[in-house]
Amino acid sequence: MSAISGRAFEQAPKHYRRFAGPWTYLFLLPAVALFVVFIAYPIVWVLGESFFSVGNDRVNRFVGLDTYLSVLADPVFWIVVRNMVLWGLITIPVQMIIGGTIAYFIERHTDTWRGFFRTMFFLPVVTSVSVISLVWVQSYAPYYGIAQEYLKYLGIEMASSPIGDPSTAIFALIVVNIWQWTGFSMLMYVAGIANLPTEVLDAARVDGARGLRLAFSVIIPMLSPVTKSLLLLGVIGTLQTFPIVQLMTTGGPNHASEVFGTYVFRTSFVLGDTGRGATISVIVLLLALILSIVQIVYLGAKLSPSGRKEEGA
Amino acid sequence: MRRRHHPTLNRVVVHVVLLLVLAVWMIPEVYMLSIGLRTPAQAFDAALFVWPLTFDNFLTVIGDNPLAGFFLNSLIITLATVALVVAFSSLFAFACAVLNLRGSLTLYATLLTTLMVPLASLVLPLAILLKTFGWVNTYAGLIFPYAALGVPFAVVVLKAFMEDSPKELFEAARVDGCNAWQTYWHVALPLVRPALVFVGIWQFITTWNEFFLALIILTRDEVKTLTIVPMQYSGLYMANPGALFAILTLIALPLILLYVVVQRAFVRGLLAGAVKG
Repeated sequence: MSAISGRAFEQAPKHYRRFAGPWTYLFLLPAVALFVVFIAYPIVWVLGESFFSVGNDRVNRFVGLDTYLSVLADPVFWIVVRNMVLWGLITIPVQMIIGGTIAYFIERHTDTWRGFFRTMFFLPVVTSVSVISLVWVQSYAPYYGIAQEYLKYLGIEMASSPIGDPSTAIFALIVVNIWQWTGFSMLMYVAGIANLPTEVLDAARVDGARGLRLAFSVIIPMLSPVTKSLLLLGVIGTLQTFPIVQLMTTGGPNHASEVFGTYVFRTSFVLGDTGRGATISVIVLLLALILSIVQIVYLGAKLSPSGRKEEGA
Repeated sequence: MRRRHHPTLNRVVVHVVLLLVLAVWMIPEVYMLSIGLRTPAQAFDAALFVWPLTFDNFLTVIGDNPLAGFFLNSLIITLATVALVVAFSSLFAFACAVLNLRGSLTLYATLLTTLMVPLASLVLPLAILLKTFGWVNTYAGLIFPYAALGVPFAVVVLKAFMEDSPKELFEAARVDGCNAWQTYWHVALPLVRPALVFVGIWQFITTWNEFFLALIILTRDEVKTLTIVPMQYSGLYMANPGALFAILTLIALPLILLYVVVQRAFVRGLLAGAVKG
């Protein structure tokens, strides 16, 4: 500090003015420029494009909401919606419950091994998703896959891979997602639990709350900011889903495991239908915004590293 | 006496159970490594461990493939993105939290909507935009969109940290005649260093592992990242899982090792973010 003050004193007669000045708006510029070019402009473009369609004569003409209606009438779209609902309803709570339970035992009952457990359970998150997908394809394979081998001990025998069967494909993929992302929920809860005020926990203990009682009536309610963040991140994450599905089933068999990511990818880049791809993109965008706003308004959800940040507190 | 005994027994049980759960959780990672260490004859054995181990697959695939090139591509794109995100988001957060510039909160709220935009809805327009720029198959074609997508989260974290820093320090800098840039560089950045490290590590992980946009923008082998090459190897080594899984292990390894090295700093940043509020 003294070095700064010394230097500053020599050159600062009008010390109060120095902070302001129009040039300070340059601090905002780089981030805003990136936002405008790579987020806002693409969104505006995709909105505009969704109202146009290239006909047989290769002329791009205004078709209004026609493409929207045709997407909504597409049975594949509704398979996607069903899959996304299943994906969110299963992965988010399961990851929270397993991750939260592991975090609770790590934080409350370990010390020497704490760092080891925190790191190991997080490893799937930092393992490349494309690698994970291929490992699980191998695990699910009949006859030689390790998952099939272990399922036999539970009395489940399958002649084919669960990702090749339309009725099980989406669930088999959901398992992979849960496996990869539970460590993330774990670490968020670890941060939440580590920061619980000890006075409150001690007071609860004095009042006789122990073990499960303590967990359910004190710890879980106090972790609700983390839970809300995870919910918000989980919903966006669900709509983002792409690599696992693209690499393991490419949305098949026969669209059974199609998700928004693969649906957009197939329509825009495989089939090359830009207008329709844009329309689906807009629908995904609207869904994400609506779901986020609902959560923020009704749950007071906030995004922060551990969900504890109350604005202006 | 009972009180003293009870916790110790509990702790042993908890440790054993946690280790068992961890062992099950690690099966896919171990399986990946295990297949990579097998001879072709053992490759299709339905077992987690197969003896004896061989390193032949690793030696072959390292010799036969330009993995170092893919690694370098990943590294350049990731480091550049991390640098942009850390720089731009800290500047923006400083303008909001410390300078309190008029209109900065509106811009902040606008920027935050990015957090709710799934990449799936942006890939098509981004692909077309980058084609217009002539940025297909270039590093810049990924670095700038990744930075744009990463800045908002980093801003949330850094702004919160700066707001929680002692206001007197900024005030003192102002009284001492520091201009905004000097305050940012000499006061704000050192104050929020744990947050910068946290944001940097998280951005590193997400950028390194990003798949969707990379798949669309990078079609030439010279620019491809490690994350998108496993696909092509799964075709190439279809009949030779040993070699495929050796490659997969090599692809997964850099980020795993990096995380093990930096996890302490990462978790510290995460914990510090929650303490304040």
